[in-house]
Amino acid sequence: MSSSSPTSAPAQVAPLNDADTGWLLRVRGLSKIYGEPISNSVQYTGPAHGTNICPETDAIVACAEISFDLYPGEVLGVVGESGSGKSTLVQLLYFDQQATAGEVQFQAIDEGQTNILGLSNQRKRHTRSNLMGMVYQNPRDGLNFSFSAGGNIAEKLLMAGNFHIGRIRERASFLLEKTEVPVKRMDSTPDTFSGGMQQRVQISKAIANSPPLLFLDEVTSGLDVSVQARVLDLIRHLQRELGVSMIVVSHDLAVIRMLTDRTLVMKNGRIVESGLTDQILQDPQHPYTQLLVSSLL
Amino acid sequence: MPLLLQVQSVSKHFQLHIQNNKRIAALDDVSFKMDQGDILGLTGKSGSGKSSLMKCIYRTYLVNSGRILLHTGSGAVTDLASASEHAVLRLRQTEMFYCSQFLSVIPRVPAADIVAESLTRKGVSHADAAEQARDLLSKLGLPRELWDAFPATFSGGEQQRVNVARAIIAAPRFLLIDEPTASLDPKTKDVVIDLVLALKARGTSVVLITHDQHTLDRMASRRLHLEHGRVRELETAVVA
Repeated sequence: MSSSSPTSAPAQVAPLNDADTGWLLRVRGLSKIYGEPISNSVQYTGPAHGTNICPETDAIVACAEISFDLYPGEVLGVVGESGSGKSTLVQLLYFDQQATAGEVQFQAIDEGQTNILGLSNQRKRHTRSNLMGMVYQNPRDGLNFSFSAGGNIAEKLLMAGNFHIGRIRERASFLLEKTEVPVKRMDSTPDTFSGGMQQRVQISKAIANSPPLLFLDEVTSGLDVSVQARVLDLIRHLQRELGVSMIVVSHDLAVIRMLTDRTLVMKNGRIVESGLTDQILQDPQHPYTQLLVSSLL
Repeated sequence: MPLLLQVQSVSKHFQLHIQNNKRIAALDDVSFKMDQGDILGLTGKSGSGKSSLMKCIYRTYLVNSGRILLHTGSGAVTDLASASEHAVLRLRQTEMFYCSQFLSVIPRVPAADIVAESLTRKGVSHADAAEQARDLLSKLGLPRELWDAFPATFSGGEQQRVNVARAIIAAPRFLLIDEPTASLDPKTKDVVIDLVLALKARGTSVVLITHDQHTLDRMASRRLHLEHGRVRELETAVVA
């Protein structure tokens, strides 16, 4: 070999260039620690230690120093084992949980000049209902089961300031049709729906206000294979049609391969590798990613 | 012709951390240039590094050293080996297309839609794209009853036609194409060759991998021969 450095140590995550422009979402140093951290909690945890629990205080470092950019129309995958921090990451971004540290800039808020983690609760609510959508693994987290399917969508539209009942019903039936939920079931409650249908109602609700940013957390994990393919196809289709940016959390590399352009690999609350999705799957650099890819059926 | 691609001292190996840190060499100090409008045929035995080189150009593989300079349609020069992921994605959308050896099937999407998607991504209307997709599939001899079927159950040759159609329909500026005529009958083979040559005539540059002598002779304007990941010869062939 004439050149090329021997890389016995895993490749580092490429440094981010702050001069890049045109991003939709910019995340820097995002961290979430449960319990009582000490100054060394982050240092004592992570992939090198094989744990995210601080040995001194039992504080749990769910996410540490997470940084990445998301561009308009891009689909970013987040993959990793249970407990790697991937769900926490999207919950922090959707304000379901409060971050311990970090900065998140969102082009749709003050042209990206403001750290949205510091917004007032009122502005956070406004951001969630107008500019973001979330689809949870468990439909019970994203839907109100005492409201009808149409009522769930209406709730999201009302939160965003649409009060015209006729237009709300019109929009709800349009969305249900788009997500292949029979419109005549609009007034039924989600507990009378199959799992795949509940997930499609949740997707309708999430995209109700045409947000520029959508979070999908293990959305197909509880579904059987044929229903899973249908939901994935729907998501791909909506993404192409609406040009929405997405962060897709999944432990399933097949889902990541089908839906995403770029991927972050997480372990013990850290990003251990990031890259183009085909590169992550065909030329993984980090030992953990290599293990993950080699375990793919 | 102006330059399209400069590959400079590219080396690539795989470090298998979970298999005793085994190191597998793929490319060793590979350098060559390519002009716009060239069809560069990569030749060499299986395992000589042809597909690795193609994947390095497309950034599916990360190189360990070297540069891969693409002279883009806008006149800028981008090092594909070190450009940001976002920049590479944009180039994949606007000018580079990689056609792998096998169709990676998207479940539940009909053949004609898979082909049309290459056009709709570029802003062509659904109706126009669908019509062009059907046209092309018909030229490639894919039976009409398969146009709206899911390719998962297609034969190798049928999948191959869908794969090639998807790659050429949007006339990419720079096409990377791996074994486009394998598993095709001689007649369809020539249809594919003619379609790619027609793209070349319109300015498309191509990197081609093929083990088929007929395909190579008819298509390649230049050849690069690889052996154990090293360039053995770079020759200018008679243009077919």
